[in-house]
Amino acid sequence: MSRPDINPAIGAMLRNASDWLAHEHSLFRTLNFEPLLVGKGKLSVAVDLPAGFTGAGGVIHGGLMTIIMDSIFGFTVFTALDQLKPIATINLRVDYIADAAPGERVVCAGECITIRDEVAYVSGDLKTQSTNKLIATGSGAFMVGTRGLKKESRL
Amino acid sequence: MSGAEPTLIASPIAEWLGFSMEETDQGALYRLSFDEKHIGNPMIRALHGGVIAAFLEFCSQCALAAKLEPGATLKTVNVDIDYLASSRAQDMTARATILRLGRRIAFVEATGWQEDEARPVAKARCRLRIGE
Repeated sequence: MSRPDINPAIGAMLRNASDWLAHEHSLFRTLNFEPLLVGKGKLSVAVDLPAGFTGAGGVIHGGLMTIIMDSIFGFTVFTALDQLKPIATINLRVDYIADAAPGERVVCAGECITIRDEVAYVSGDLKTQSTNKLIATGSGAFMVGTRGLKKESRL
Repeated sequence: MSGAEPTLIASPIAEWLGFSMEETDQGALYRLSFDEKHIGNPMIRALHGGVIAAFLEFCSQCALAAKLEPGATLKTVNVDIDYLASSRAQDMTARATILRLGRRIAFVEATGWQEDEARPVAKARCRLRIGE
């Protein structure tokens, strides 16, 4: 699953984080989080869209897509770093392309396009796992190396 | 509550967010009631950025729904969110402003804060499609 071009310390952190998300994290363990591809600056993860996130109209609320993208894009930034640093989302944009049904399993893919002046640029999308139907696209900017892990960072 | 709001507020995502609202003289105030599941990274003990975005999008939808006739539908086209300051593991309050209500599209901005309204944690801009 892990590629050798990722910094070993970051690779180990991502494996720990991945185990922890899958088994301990109160939100992500309910999503059956499963990493499919972990490369330098590239990440692809399968998750469920549980019925508990249904909005009006009987389809999954877009907010869950945004939650998933914020997390996966943040992890994508980590895979691109040469040393482990805290990061924080500066801004995020999500376009809702199609509805998703409760219970659907989706793949969220992120790519870190570049890191310039300590700002990481990520874009990606969310597609159904069975039919590869595009559900949402997104892009975000992340600050790398925030001042003080406890107060300033967010993921 | 009025218009299309009740269906939104009864939806499962509202319960997951611990969502509630109250009408005030200065318009509606929305609230996310903090829960452990809203935390992103437990080392940091802050609200997950995506959870803040989901909450502010939901506030935007409620603000728009209040202006629509019962039975009208709305769907978010897209959302942009700026994270202006770090958050804490506690409740968030928000207001939403309708920038423009067209026949088919509405533009809504929602601002969320924790201790001080003058120090917003995040601001979201949503565009929504209105259906009959």
